[in-house]
Amino acid sequence: MESKSRTLEITILSGEDLRIDNKSVKKNAFVDVSIDPFNCKTTKMDGEGGSNPSWNDKLVMDMPMQTRFITLAVKCKASSGEKTVGLARIPVTDFIGGYSPETCLQFLSYRLRDPKGLKNGIINVSVRVKEPLHACSSQAAAGLGIPIDGRNDFGVVTGIPIWSGYPSNSFFR
Amino acid sequence: MSRYESIDKILKVSIKFYLTQLVDISLNQRARGEKEMGNCISGDVGGGKQAIGGVQGRPTANNNAGHNDAVDHFFRARGQNPLFTQIELSISASKLRDRDITSKSDPMTILYVKKRDGTLEELGRTEVILNSLNPAWIEKINVAYQFEIVQHLVFRIYDVDTKFQGIPVKALKLNEQEFLGEATCVLSEIVTKRNRSLTLNLHSRNGPGGSRNLGTLTVHAEENFSSRMAVEMKLRCSQLDNKDMFSKSDPFLRISRLLESGNSVPICKTEVINNNLYPVWRPLYLSMQQFGSKDNPLLIECFDFNSNGDHALIGKLQKSVSELEELYKDRSGANLVFPSSRGQEKVLKGQLFVDEFIEKVQFSFLDYISSGFELNFMVAIDFTASNGNPRNPDSLHYIDPSRRLNSYQQAIMEVGEVIQFYDSDRRFPAWGFGGRAYDGTVSHCFNLNGMNAHEVEGVEGIMAAYANALHNVTLAGPTLFGHVINTAAQIAGQTISNDITKYFVLLIITDGVLTDMQETMEALVRASDLPLSILIVGVGDADFKQMEILDADNGHRLESSTGRLATRDIVQFVPMREVYSCRISVVQALLEELPGQFLSYMRSRDIKPVNA
Repeated sequence: MESKSRTLEITILSGEDLRIDNKSVKKNAFVDVSIDPFNCKTTKMDGEGGSNPSWNDKLVMDMPMQTRFITLAVKCKASSGEKTVGLARIPVTDFIGGYSPETCLQFLSYRLRDPKGLKNGIINVSVRVKEPLHACSSQAAAGLGIPIDGRNDFGVVTGIPIWSGYPSNSFFR
Repeated sequence: MSRYESIDKILKVSIKFYLTQLVDISLNQRARGEKEMGNCISGDVGGGKQAIGGVQGRPTANNNAGHNDAVDHFFRARGQNPLFTQIELSISASKLRDRDITSKSDPMTILYVKKRDGTLEELGRTEVILNSLNPAWIEKINVAYQFEIVQHLVFRIYDVDTKFQGIPVKALKLNEQEFLGEATCVLSEIVTKRNRSLTLNLHSRNGPGGSRNLGTLTVHAEENFSSRMAVEMKLRCSQLDNKDMFSKSDPFLRISRLLESGNSVPICKTEVINNNLYPVWRPLYLSMQQFGSKDNPLLIECFDFNSNGDHALIGKLQKSVSELEELYKDRSGANLVFPSSRGQEKVLKGQLFVDEFIEKVQFSFLDYISSGFELNFMVAIDFTASNGNPRNPDSLHYIDPSRRLNSYQQAIMEVGEVIQFYDSDRRFPAWGFGGRAYDGTVSHCFNLNGMNAHEVEGVEGIMAAYANALHNVTLAGPTLFGHVINTAAQIAGQTISNDITKYFVLLIITDGVLTDMQETMEALVRASDLPLSILIVGVGDADFKQMEILDADNGHRLESSTGRLATRDIVQFVPMREVYSCRISVVQALLEELPGQFLSYMRSRDIKPVNA
């Protein structure tokens, strides 16, 4: 039987031009990734990157089938407490059912908006949905340097994407 | 010896270009400075404050900073541009004809490049090998490989008469030597071969087809650079001196390579960090071509950025790449010095630290291509009514009975003839959009050949399908790119799951203004993560402002309505009218960025050439 959730590998790569009250973030930026209020993970804090932090932090999370958005909240720890730098909502459809198979590594970038709704920097992430039944060709993800001798001969088995096997309404329950 | 000479030449040119670059940057700053008075809160980096030369082409880093004409010149002058690589050709021949009576021939090969006007320019000569019909010449001939041009090579073999022995090959008069045969090929044909070797049949001066067997010639191409090694470093400074009156310094680093002559050549500069005496810069990426060798001393200068271009030196120091590596290992800082008036140096409190030091292997475009990676070409042609009735001579689609190509045909030919060499099966998807197609409905992506299969064979196939479609398709409208981009993106997306060696190139030729700007942007943002580049050629006299927006060369990343951003720039646009106004083909400009876009995709995914 099909499971009710799938495994999401989300790597929070970097941020660009982060500001708080129009001043560049100096350090200690981090990202909260939430699939729902009870399913959150947090990256490590960036100590050196200033307003262009890089985290390269891979978070593995369970994503229920009905999830439609993932929320990224970039925050910053200061002496006065935590401040929110900006938010981005990633529609799940941006990486499932897009041009490339979701089991391949996909790079995504989003505009962040601060709590007032104003544009504030950019966040770069990469996403991969783990589907153990469906092999993925992404070398980066698999870490394999497969030598390919014949150009078109890959011995590939055509597979129907797993998600298309679900009743279509299960997405939007 | 000749190699050192050429390096020296490159360096000299690069100094000159660097000067032009500085002028460009300061002009740019002035213009930007004035503009920014009005809107001081802009998201992008101010002109001239970007990092140059040390930025790796990564989709997730803000790598747009490097796109600047001056910088392109700067790169090109150093022979650094991935599209402009020096290639060393080794030549051998077998079964040459014997022209000498008492002994065998004494052959020498001369390599020419055939220019657009058909004239031949000599690129070099091999040495003379005595008494051999199967010579393998030792002397290599250098050619500058340019992706965007079809480079026709002509090899001519001569038997050098014994009485000329001892004369330098350069001085030999060819009309006094015996002609043994010639062979022609295109440089791309050699570099796309698996082992980068190509064997050609020799023929007489009258061209191929002669019945006599004159033997064969084999060319082998090798990229001419010292190493694929590159380093990524994260640099920071502490306790820098304050140079500004009312705020702290705005520091940036400039790294130059010191030459034996005592001069230095700038190789990169970091971005400017505003108002900070403890700056941390983004990681720098330096290739071996830039820094020479790990022991070559580098001059690292820290400046306070000044918008008038007159940057104040805060301090400097000299370190080689291996010394920087030591700094990283010891986690220790190196003090900056300041040259004082009496020729002495004052040691400053400010220090330089290396927080990260990673050695990387950097593969070239040709490394991928010669290991079986391909560029797959696709074409989409505008059939909207604004082109004018094809029967009318002032229509953009008018096919001249005198066989003079119209703008559409010209664009297909010029792009196609370059890319076809990188596509092994030469089967190209070809579509039309904005026309009332074969079934009577307006379609925004129909097969140009009118059949169910969208692929046609070869550039000739595209030309034939296009001419045929003009008879069968009625021009309509509006101008929508969304469908075509979607179709191309789906093909690219489906391919990556089973073949990572394919990269797609979609050529869209259009006369006009887009109706679906927003949809097009959304499609481009979604497609930016695929192995796909889109070339847009604008024909006719329309205002192509919109296209400039799609082509994100100005440093702004494309943004969809939902706030998703393009991960990299995949669009290149040129208006065709410029083709007529200047001598150099604008199509070249269109193709120039392709190898870079290809590499940025492959590197971001850590896809390596096969067998590397």
